[in-house]
This record gives sequence, C-alpha cells and structure tokens, in this order.
Amino acid sequence: MNVLKSTAYLLFFTFLVTSCTQDDDDIIVPLGDYEYGFLITNEGPFQNGSGTVSFVSDDYSTMDHQIFNQVNSSDLGNVVQSMGFNDDHAYIVVNNSNKIEVVNRYTFETIATITEGLDNPRYFASSGSNGYVTNWGDPFDNTDDFVAVIDLSTNTVSSIIPVAFGPEKLIMANNDLYVAHQGGYGQNNILSVIDVSANMLESTIEVGDVPNSMVVSNNDIWVLCGGNPSFTGTETNGRLVKVETSDNTVVQAFDFLTTKHPASLSIDGSTLIYNLDGEVFSKEATSSSLPTSSIITGSFYAMATNDGKLYATDAGDFASNGTLRIFDLSTNSEIITIETGIIPGGVYFNN
Amino acid sequence: MYAQLDSIQHLNEVLVIDTKLEDYSEGFELIQLSDTLIARNSVSLTEVLNFNSTLYFKENGYGMVSSPSFRGTNASQTAVIWNGIPINSNLNGQTDFNTISPSSFNTIIIRSGGGSTQYGSGAVGGSIHLNNTIDFQNKQSSELKLSYGSFSTIGGVFKSRFSSDKKYIDLGIDFISSENDYEYIDLNRKNENGNFDKLNIAANAGLNFGKSTLYWNSNYFLGNRNFSGTISSASKDRYKDITTRNLLTWNKASNKWNNTIKGAHTFERYRYYPQPENNLYFEGQSTTYLGDYQLEYNVNKDLKISSIINYTYIKSKGSNIGVNDRNTLATILLWKHHINEKLSYGINLRQEFLTNFENPFLASFDVKYAINKWYSLKANASKNYRVPTFNDLYWNSGGNENLNPETSYQAEIANEFIWNQFRLNITGFYISSKDLIQWQPGVDGMFTPLNISKTENIGIELSGNYSKSFKEHQLNLVFNYAYTSAKDLEKNKQLIYVPYHKATGAFNYNYKKLSAYYQLLFNGEVYTTTDNYGILDGYSVSNLGLEYLIQEKSFPIKIGIKLNNIFNTYYENVAYRPMPNRNIQTFINFKF
Repeated sequence: MNVLKSTAYLLFFTFLVTSCTQDDDDIIVPLGDYEYGFLITNEGPFQNGSGTVSFVSDDYSTMDHQIFNQVNSSDLGNVVQSMGFNDDHAYIVVNNSNKIEVVNRYTFETIATITEGLDNPRYFASSGSNGYVTNWGDPFDNTDDFVAVIDLSTNTVSSIIPVAFGPEKLIMANNDLYVAHQGGYGQNNILSVIDVSANMLESTIEVGDVPNSMVVSNNDIWVLCGGNPSFTGTETNGRLVKVETSDNTVVQAFDFLTTKHPASLSIDGSTLIYNLDGEVFSKEATSSSLPTSSIITGSFYAMATNDGKLYATDAGDFASNGTLRIFDLSTNSEIITIETGIIPGGVYFNN
Repeated sequence: MYAQLDSIQHLNEVLVIDTKLEDYSEGFELIQLSDTLIARNSVSLTEVLNFNSTLYFKENGYGMVSSPSFRGTNASQTAVIWNGIPINSNLNGQTDFNTISPSSFNTIIIRSGGGSTQYGSGAVGGSIHLNNTIDFQNKQSSELKLSYGSFSTIGGVFKSRFSSDKKYIDLGIDFISSENDYEYIDLNRKNENGNFDKLNIAANAGLNFGKSTLYWNSNYFLGNRNFSGTISSASKDRYKDITTRNLLTWNKASNKWNNTIKGAHTFERYRYYPQPENNLYFEGQSTTYLGDYQLEYNVNKDLKISSIINYTYIKSKGSNIGVNDRNTLATILLWKHHINEKLSYGINLRQEFLTNFENPFLASFDVKYAINKWYSLKANASKNYRVPTFNDLYWNSGGNENLNPETSYQAEIANEFIWNQFRLNITGFYISSKDLIQWQPGVDGMFTPLNISKTENIGIELSGNYSKSFKEHQLNLVFNYAYTSAKDLEKNKQLIYVPYHKATGAFNYNYKKLSAYYQLLFNGEVYTTTDNYGILDGYSVSNLGLEYLIQEKSFPIKIGIKLNNIFNTYYENVAYRPMPNRNIQTFINFKF
C-alpha cells in the first residue's frame, strides 16, 4: 500500500515539477519511503509468530510498524535475528526460518529470499561482491558451525567456511572479516579472521570469554567479552579488548570484576559505550582504565549509536511490544521513547 | 439406549474409588462425561474436553503439547487426578492432555472450582478426575475397537474385564498412530513433522474380603511424537515420554468407621530430541511415592467427618534441573453435614508441613441448598495454591530456589434449574490469584521465575441439556458457554490465550439402531501478546458423526463414521500453527 501511495505521489510530483520547471535538473527523488530514518528489527514472539521491521523517520514524525509485511504482504518469519547491508540492499536474517530476505533498504520491496545453504543463520556482513553470514548449524553440535559465503549477484550461498563453534557477530576491518565466537548456547572465547579474497580462515585470536559485541575504530577492533555467566559453574570476568588488525594481536585488555558481565558495545566517534548491570557506561578509547560511573541508567536488550545519539531498546516482558529510547550523548538526556515491535533486537541507520 | 443419549450428566451418584469426590464436593459442580461421549472424541483427552466443556485448550498443532485453561487460570492450575492421586508433572506442573487416553477410564469427571484442600497443588481453576471403577458383580465382557481415518490414522482399543463377588480384574490397551500430515488450507502446504504414536495400557484389580477390600490401579503410557513446526518455521524435533502409575488401596469399613490406606508410585520421564538425527536428547524425570491414610467417622447419618494424613516424596532429575527432592506432609480435615433434606454444607481444611516454602493453610467451604423441585443452589469459597515446579526451582539457568507457592482465593455460585427434560446451569465465579510465578528477564538478560504476577478472573458459565423422546426417536441437545475475563492486574490486560468466549454444542439423535450426532466448538478470539495488540481470530469447528449397530444381541457389532471439520474451516488454535482440514475417521466395534 505504502509503495503504491508513494509511487502515486511520486508520479504526481514528477508531473507537477516537469510541467512547471522543465529545465530544473536538481530534483532530489527520494530512494523510497524509508530513506530518511532508521530501521528496528523486532525478533517477534519466540515460538509462534513472525518478527517484524519498524521504520522511524529522522524527525520521529513517521513510525511504521511491520514494514516488510506492509510492502510485500507476507511475514518475515520466525525470529528476525539481525540485518546487514550492501549498497542499497538490506539482508534480513531470519534465524528459526533459516532464511535471509533480501530487500531494497529504502523501499523494502523484496528482491530475493535465500533459503538454501543456511543453518541457524545469525548475522550478516558484506565485502565487495560477497556477503558473509554466521551459522550455528545444530546448536548442540559444536563442530558444524560455519560462515556462509553469499554471491550477492545471484543471492545464493556459493561456499561455506567452517569455523569454531558459536560464531555470532561479524565485522569488516582492514580488509579482513572478523567473526566473534560468542559460543551459541555455550561459551567460546575467540575471534576468527577470514581472508575475504580467498574466502578462507586465516587465523584465530583468543580475546576473552563470550565475545558478544565488536566495533571498529581506525584499524583497531574493540571487542567486548561478557565472561562466562555464573550458571555455568565456571564464572569468569567480562573483558574489553583491543585488537590491532595489522598483526591481529591483542594490544590492550581491561578486566571487569568476575561477577560483571558487560554487553552491547557500540562507538560514538572515539567514545566506547556499553551496558552493564542496568547502567550504560562510556569510555574514551584512549583512556587507560574502565569508567566507574555510568552515564545513563537502564538495562537494554540492544544498543546502537549514531550521530551523537544512543539508541537503546527494552524488550519488556518479551511477550509484548517493546520500546526504543533515544538519548542525546552530549547531555545524556532522553530525547524520546518509541514503541517498537516484539523483542527489538537491532537498530540500523539508513542515512 | 436412553442412557446413552444422556451424554453429559451432572453427577448424582457414581461408584468411584476416590470417595472424597462425591462425598465432600456437594457444593461444587461435578460433571461426568459418559462412555459414549468419550468414545466419540477418543483420540485424546484434549478433544473430549474441548468439545464437551468450557475448558479452553492451547494446542501446539493437532496432537502436540496441549495445555488447558480452566476459568482463565494457567495450565498448571488445572489439576488432573487419577483415581484420587494428583498426576500433574512435577517438572512443569501441567498435564499434557494429549498424553491421556480417554478410553482407559470408566468415568471422567470435571470438578469446577478450587480443590486444593482435597487434591493439593494445582487444583485452582478446577480439576479433571480420571477414574477406574472396580465393582464386585458377576460379569465378564470384552470389547475391541479398531479405527482408521485420514492422515493414515490407525487406532485400536481392547478392553476386557472379569469379575465375581470376590474378585475383579480388567485390562485395557489403547493404541493410536497417525502421520498427522494434514493440509494447511489455502497455503498449499502440509503439516510436516507432526506424526505421533501413543500406547496406553491400564490394568485394575480388586479383591473383596467382605469387610475389607483391596484395589490396585495401574496405568502405563508411552508417547512418541514429532513436534510440528509453524507456518513461519519448519521443525524436526521429537519428543518421547513415558509415565507409569500404580496405586494400591486398602479399605475397611464398619458402620461408623471407614479406614482407607493408599500407597502410590508414579514415574514420568521425557526425552526431547532437538535434532533427532544425532540422537542427542534432553531429559527430565521424576518419581513420586505417596502414602495416604484416611479415617472417616460417620457421627450419624447426616454428619460425616474425615481426617487424612498424606505424605509425598518426590525425586526429580534431569539435564537442566540436577537431582533434587521434596517431602510434603499434609493433614486434611473434611466435614460434611446434611442439616436437612434441602440444606447441606461442607468444610475442608488442609495444613502442609515439611516443604521448603511457606507452608500454606488452606480452607474451603461449600453449601448446597435445594430450594424447590426445580431450583437448587450451590455455593463455595476456597483458598487454593500451586507449588513451584522442579523446573521453576532448579532450572539451569534461571531457576529460583526462593520461590513460594502461588495463592488463589475463589468463590462461586451455581444455580441449577430442572424442568422436565430440560436442565440449565448458570454459574458465576471469581478467582483472585497472587504471587503467580512468572519467568522474567533480569538485568543480565537471564530469565528467572518470580512470585510477582497478580490476576483476577471473573466469569459466567452456562450449560444446558434437553432431552426428548417420542416413539423410537430420541433427541438430545447439550450446550456449554463461558464468558471469562482474566486480567493481569499490573497491566490491566486480558491474559494471553484466554478467550472471552467459548462455547460448545452437541445434537444427538437416535433411531432404533442408528445414531447421528453433530458437535460444535467455538473459541472466541484470544490475545497472543501481553499488551493485547496481538490477536488470534476466533473460530468455530463442526463435526458430524453416524453410528450404526449392526447386531445387538450375543455378539454386538457397531460401526461408525465421523467427519471432522465439516466446513473445512482454516483455524489456528495457537498462532501460526494451523489445525486440521476436513477429515474422516471410521471405526468398528465388537463386544463379546
């Protein structure tokens, strides 16, 4: 419906413009309804249902829920885990349904659905003409985990790269692909480094237990490790680690207390931001110690930063719509609270 | 033949081993489902109750895990009582109603309202009583039923009993297997990975020594199910479960005194295979030993007092719960007084000891008043509870050993009107529950159960029955309707998967050797999210059946055919899980 409407507007607008100002060449044609704003992936109810994607315009005046369904009249599928991008394409990873929906990131019109060659897909990243997707395989088998290589011109899985168990988030830095092995239902403690020119595993780097989030700063990767949780019986401390990508070595490590398990690392300029024990902390990348006081109070399911703002989601009781809170990082004050879909697990920026 | 038509009876008198049930529940509504009715929905207890009561079922696809909501309470607040013994799982607190073979029991009784004083944990919304009757008459009979139908469904029931004035023994074997690969209407897909097979064996025996009697009841269930997926994601997981139950009862009665000693052993085990091809599974198992002594004293013909001491030992172990056990000692006092022909009341008290929780003191009061020939009134009020399950307490990770029992207060008033062949019941109920156990995410994102939620359920139930016969024609009409408002008091929203409206109807017709029936089930819309934004549409499903008695005497043979979902309605009972399209089931039944 929205597409029809926007196309109609577009035609009408174009007609007006062409008829009135025929020699004006500088018309900016929007790339789609969802160009000027950000997207929220909502995992959806855990067992019986479909995840969704919400759109919020930059000025917060437009909020559209279930935009994939609105545009394509079909459901995304069960547990919308994450989203990745390449050019104007968005790759929505649907975990339980074992598929990736490829859409135009600005119009959300479907382009392709990748179903073959995936097994428990988690996260997506791209480099050149290839996409990379972490897969757990059988979550109870620690030997069948892999990164699927997707040929972005055909939207098919062209090869797989076997990796250690529990690959989760992945990020491109200094022409290599870094995969954090959070450890699936268990715990792992390494990064895999993948050579994207050969699509082969290059090396692994031990970083700390349960690496759950990563950001790139210049040619360094900051990795936040949550540490083994207490129920494992072998509780270990959280750790913030800096990896130099030139030689893939850990050059700095900040240990948290054994009972502290931080998560959701993001970066705003040169400021690292993470969530710990119901509070948000910020640390200058150059500072020599972990911060002791927090900047914002709140326990968040996912966090992202963009343009001096923190986007933090709250999944509530995990059985109803969640919320997104946006904070101005210059004052650490809240700008707005926005209702999302069920279990908002990721925030992605379209411009 | 007439008795067959009167398919739902409000209980008058039945002989059951669980004597507490009728003696001390006069101010409660008891509804007994007849053999005929059970036979018409014999695939599972879910189906029997779904089509014949106001209980609402949440079924994860046909034949899959099925949990009840009785008066809007949660699945672990409906107690299932097998021959007087509670059998809800110690692991998750519920009975999966698709693992109970209804054909294995002589009577199934629905007791509405709180019953924790008599039946312990979980009898909050109501309880379902599965009873095997043992009687000492000279009788010998056997029955074999074979059925076949859509989705490669094959079933068989064999029952046999031998009894004399001294001895009784029966055996029942019940088997069903189905590919369960029904079509998802208009979706051009099938129900994948939904096949199941179930085997139930029941044996009961009794010895009559004159002044005393000895009974033995046993039941063995073996289930092997694949769990079907949803519209949005396929599945391949498998689930195997085993339960065994054994009960020995000794009873000695004199004029004034009645002694009953019971000893029971029950065992449950499940194995869950998330990826069956690698044969790895998660397991949970639990064993219960129960000893129970009841001393009943008949003060006079109108006043009866019973004291019970009950000791239960439960030991559970599993992949996620370690090895843990629990001791519970309960003392119960039951009082029944008939003031006069019209008015009677009962008082039930229960105090528990030994458990690691706050030991609850429970009480219930009930009264029955037969105002006149056509109108009688029942009312009751009770305090009930549910103890935390072993999963709640010990689950790794998240289990919380500091949980306390859930507590509920409830009251109801039931009006019964009888005019000739027409009976109408109108019941209003109120349930207030607190400290309900709910799994919630903590600051570290880990889910942990807490005693936090509060609910308030208010509702009205209507049920009616009309029978008429002229010459060789017999007609019978039954309906049930419930309006249930079940609110989470913190959010002030209706609880998920509790419909405001549920109705059932049945029309039965008999002519000589032929009987025909029509069944209707209506479930109103339910909310699927706690903020009530997510809605699953309501639906109605109709079944039509025809039965014919080929031969009545010496070697009776009956054949039948049943058309389920005659209008081929697409419906989901749980969101994204379609239920079966139109299908056909047939049977042949021999008695000898």
